[in-house]
Amino acid sequence: MQLNDFFARKRFVFLDGAMGTQLTARGLQPGQKPELAALTMPETVTAIHRDYARAGADLLLANTFGANPHKLAGTGHSAEEVITASIACARAAAAETGALVALDIGPLGELLAPAGSLEFEDAVAQFSVMVEAGVKAGADLVFLETMTDLYELKAALLAVKEHSDLPVFASMSFESNGRTFTGCTVESFAATAVGLGADAVGINCSLGPVEILPFIQRLCRLVPGGVPVFVKANAGLPNPDGSYNLTPADFAREMMAYLPTGISMAGGCCGTTPETIRLLKQAFAGHFPAQKVPLRRSVLCTPVRCVEIDGITVVGERINPTGKKRLQQALRTGDMAYPASQAVAQAEAGADLLDVNVGLPGIDEAATLEHLVRELQSITELPLQLDSSNPEALARALRVYNGKPIVNSVNGEQKTLETILPLCKKYGAAVVGLTLDEHGIPKTVAERVVIARRITEYAERYGIPREDIYIDCLTLTASAQQDGAAQTLKALSICKKELGVRTILGVSNISFGLPCRGYLNATFLTMAMAAGLDLAIINPNTPDMMGAVRAFRVLTGQDDKSTEYIRAYADLQIQTTQTAKTAVSASTAKPEGEHHSLTDAVRRGLKTEARAAAEEALTRMEPLDLVNQVLIPALDQVGDGFEKGTIFLPQLLQSASAAQAAFDVVKAAIAASGTQGESRGRIVIATVKGDVHDIGKNIVRVILENYGYEVIDLGRDVPPEMVVETVQRTGAPLVGLSALMTTTVPSMQSTIEQLHAAGLPCKVMVGGAVLTPEYAAQIGADFYAKDAKAAADIAKQVFAE
Amino acid sequence: MQLPLPEQLNTQTVLRYLGAAGWTPDDSMQQLLARAEASLRRAATPRGIWRQLPLDALPLENAGTDLARHLNGCDGMVLMAATLGSGVDTALRRLCLQDIALGAVADAAASVLLEQVCDQFEAEIRQQITEKGLYLTGRYSPGYGDCPLTLQKDFCLALDTVRGIGLCLTPDCLLTPRKSVTAILGTADHPVTGTKAGCATCALRTKCAYRKKGTTCATE
Repeated sequence: MQLNDFFARKRFVFLDGAMGTQLTARGLQPGQKPELAALTMPETVTAIHRDYARAGADLLLANTFGANPHKLAGTGHSAEEVITASIACARAAAAETGALVALDIGPLGELLAPAGSLEFEDAVAQFSVMVEAGVKAGADLVFLETMTDLYELKAALLAVKEHSDLPVFASMSFESNGRTFTGCTVESFAATAVGLGADAVGINCSLGPVEILPFIQRLCRLVPGGVPVFVKANAGLPNPDGSYNLTPADFAREMMAYLPTGISMAGGCCGTTPETIRLLKQAFAGHFPAQKVPLRRSVLCTPVRCVEIDGITVVGERINPTGKKRLQQALRTGDMAYPASQAVAQAEAGADLLDVNVGLPGIDEAATLEHLVRELQSITELPLQLDSSNPEALARALRVYNGKPIVNSVNGEQKTLETILPLCKKYGAAVVGLTLDEHGIPKTVAERVVIARRITEYAERYGIPREDIYIDCLTLTASAQQDGAAQTLKALSICKKELGVRTILGVSNISFGLPCRGYLNATFLTMAMAAGLDLAIINPNTPDMMGAVRAFRVLTGQDDKSTEYIRAYADLQIQTTQTAKTAVSASTAKPEGEHHSLTDAVRRGLKTEARAAAEEALTRMEPLDLVNQVLIPALDQVGDGFEKGTIFLPQLLQSASAAQAAFDVVKAAIAASGTQGESRGRIVIATVKGDVHDIGKNIVRVILENYGYEVIDLGRDVPPEMVVETVQRTGAPLVGLSALMTTTVPSMQSTIEQLHAAGLPCKVMVGGAVLTPEYAAQIGADFYAKDAKAAADIAKQVFAE
Repeated sequence: MQLPLPEQLNTQTVLRYLGAAGWTPDDSMQQLLARAEASLRRAATPRGIWRQLPLDALPLENAGTDLARHLNGCDGMVLMAATLGSGVDTALRRLCLQDIALGAVADAAASVLLEQVCDQFEAEIRQQITEKGLYLTGRYSPGYGDCPLTLQKDFCLALDTVRGIGLCLTPDCLLTPRKSVTAILGTADHPVTGTKAGCATCALRTKCAYRKKGTTCATE
């Protein structure tokens, strides 16, 4: 059989069945590593392959599933050695029937960050070792299977693409709820794998033929016509002891239901045997792959959320530092918690996608965008719009993005198109095209459409399909060019109709320079939606804008039975009353009473009240006076109570939350005033390398921030070098480190040693469940903090010196 | 296999984990607990896996004296693992950013939910083992007493947790997803109770809040 036949879909291609089950049946002992079978029992491995080939398998998966450096560590054998031997076994068996041989690659067995501590590039590197060895050993193609983490699948696909020219098959394992263990949907799998260049996609393992069927039906409609779909089901669901019940005959019978789905390749996974494949081939004899009817949809996704752009879709615009002092400050110091909280707030307000822009003079845009994308995807399910014109920043952000993002943007300039479109293609991203070029924004509608057409043609030349192209006809400021609005909307309608592309607009620019911008924004948005706008870049925290979107969805039938509309607004009456009440009480309170009410709100842990009280107090007090005279004394009171045992941790935390709300108001006021704000001092905190438990560190962060310190939180699983680099860069006099487990305390020690080796004068405080004052001293820490209150006391002491 | 979540979150234990044992939560704490529980129920995908194996299937000879004492008189074992899934980790990160009080309460609540899931799972296993006429000790996990965390590697391999329930280990032997448990239960043909790890070899013995009160974590 030729490789071409695998993709021609003229007849069914048969894949092999289980290897592990067969090895155990033929003498592999418990405790013996199946990965090493090609070295320890090569004749057996070849015999299994031969049985599958004789049963009719057109493709033999070499026994390389777990032959990665991570799993082979300590065996005394390299990945190359194992892969060479394993492929030789398969090749020896294939010769007889002319079957092809695949380098088989399974998961590394470790979760990638943020779920685990394996870095994305380390995963790419491990897969790359396997791919290079497979190419050298003469594999015909690469078969990625049993993947449950979309991020890991992406790492593997990149490794194949960057280290070989071989075709690559990609297969994930789904649970009966239609998601993988990490929550990935069939839709997100299809969009991402195809975008990254998988030549065939499929589903294997975990379930039997009956359970996988509905997912394969979906998969066949989700991928383009030229991408074949395959299935390798288990022999039914496993018994508690790990055995399987489905006989080869039952399996073959159940597989008949796949004939009309559009698959063109089939085999078996756990519990299947050469006999299974023989009967499967017999059952499929005389049948041919059914026509696949792909849906051409525009989608963007993260693993757990696949957003189909079919009707008006909201892109949250808040993560963009232009004109936002607080965000500028956060990006400059590397405080990713602030933009991350903005992402959460926009998601809550109804955003479907989030725009991410970190363009600031004097900032390392590439490093910052990559860092922020990693942080955002660890806390939000929403797909991201990577907003930059810097190719390096886009390349780095696209590489670490988990799913299918959209790039904002290219324009009609040839140089931009030729630099950025190949990146979009390589990483499977959709793209925004601005209708401007080196000559600026064209005056006429026709000229804008010409540019849109040029962008579309270029994108297609680079292999980016129309459904992934979003044209931005550019919102002009109404105060400067009053006829601009009509032209933009006309160009938008034409592009959509004539080019068959999607459209996008940044809405708020319409009202620049005019009062009551909200009226203009909402009206222009409504007009644009009526003209066929697909993506609206807006501030979802603005009730009027989201109101216009939700109303439009009702009136165009997008929001079936007005469900979303009712959910969003059914309680609005109540909310309005509440807000009004708060406002009244705040405005009528006496200055002294107000003073008292902020203290009281913090003590009682009332967030909304604390925020309102702080806003009111700032009309009479300087921000720093409010911090020093009201907030900190209130926190001290709570902290003392906690120390004495009259206040419990949950109460302390609620007070901290309330104080944080008040502080956000203060920080916004300081940022708006344009002054740097007088920070009490900088503190770098981190949960050390190897440790992913960071709740304690997060509590410490909030408490320290409450006391007015500028906290640079490096997150969890932080390498010592990063702590050293950050202290060097920021000159922070105090570092806080946390570690939960006995196994990660050595990593804390090495961080302290590296800080000392770098000759940094900073003090180090440490905390964590297994630490004691003695242990802390032993590993070279200056302070042991038993809890967050103690950390604040230590900070006070250090900064008083 | 998929495991059910308990019908009710044991809030008493959540409070204990938060260092507020015996405190009668006020209204705002009740609300926090309810919000935390609702978020976790949405995010959790609890799964478990177990195997019954002979005692010599794992290299337990270097796993400390506490575990040896626990397995005293046993000739077989049940290994089990359970996880709330990675969705819970994401939810916890998000909640910490939204509101640290909510985040901390949810973190503790997730640990309690996991423990309740394990209790239900163990009860199910216990019934099947008892039907075979065997007796079981209680659960014992790597990291208790002087039992090394590195034993997680053998547990995860023997249970094939990666393929079975998506449970992996970091190089430092931490379980990921974070809210996960592995445990060993000894089996015998005569009644066995096992012995909880004592305080003598516990990493927390010098600073333990229970010991200061004159109790132990096992008796609380």
